[in-house]
Amino acid sequence: MKFALLTVAVVSLMLMSTPAASAAGNASFSGTSSAVQSAFVAVQTAGKDGGNTTSLVTQLNTALALVQKASTENSTNPAQAAADLQSALSIAQGVQAFAAGVDRQGIAARQLQFEVSIVSAVVIVGIAVALYVYGDRMYRRLWLRVYGGHVVKKVG
Amino acid sequence: MVTILAVLAAVYPILPSNGEPFSELGVLGPGQKIGGYPTSVTVSQGFNLYVYVGNHEGGAEYYQVLVKEGNQGTVVSNSTFASLPAVQINSLVLGDNSSTIFPVSLSMSTAGLNQRLIFELWMFNSTADNFAYTGLWAQIWMNVTSS
Repeated sequence: MKFALLTVAVVSLMLMSTPAASAAGNASFSGTSSAVQSAFVAVQTAGKDGGNTTSLVTQLNTALALVQKASTENSTNPAQAAADLQSALSIAQGVQAFAAGVDRQGIAARQLQFEVSIVSAVVIVGIAVALYVYGDRMYRRLWLRVYGGHVVKKVG
Repeated sequence: MVTILAVLAAVYPILPSNGEPFSELGVLGPGQKIGGYPTSVTVSQGFNLYVYVGNHEGGAEYYQVLVKEGNQGTVVSNSTFASLPAVQINSLVLGDNSSTIFPVSLSMSTAGLNQRLIFELWMFNSTADNFAYTGLWAQIWMNVTSS
């Protein structure tokens, strides 16, 4: 009895979900476009924060090509168009999810670059000041160490 | 002097870039070169062109190239886009300092002398959440005869 009820419930759900799926297919053009736009904003932000977005841009173009393909085949092969839109949507959502990680990596890399640059500049200035203050003394000591034992010989 | 140059070299990677951001749009002939554009076609006769888009905006950009069919009276400028429906929309995302060339298959629907195909470059504005006209456009003049 329980099994029969469960079967009826599952079949009912499947029947109910079929028209919903095709309705989603019809509405997917705007939904997919919105998803691509959201993904692009995430990619743009990640890029401005210093992340490497090359592969994400390639994936976004793949999604856009699928939307374009779906648009042209929608009148002749709506099922294929819906499948392409679904693929495009998945790619866009994946790009958006991945962009957050790229954004964090970019921020970290930029912070590291900033710290390396500042430390390098400070070290360079420090070496320059040390050479200015102690350079003369160091040079004389070094000269004395190298030539201190030198004996001037009479020539001829 | 050496110290100043060394310090500048060290901090150069973190200095903000002060270049003027810009985008590029170009229409190329069937041979992917400037020239060889069709000048005379019949209505519904298909022909192929190539569109060049370049991005130097300082970050990734989402572009749309709108193709519109106009005539001598169509008003289009760097500040005004043509008030015509797009016969074709090509969407693409470009990374900073990158460009692409893609093919477009087109045909004219209206016969007449001095008809023109207008190509407009639009760019996604993430603040306004819509596409905005960049002011970049190109055109091809042609005489279209009835088939």
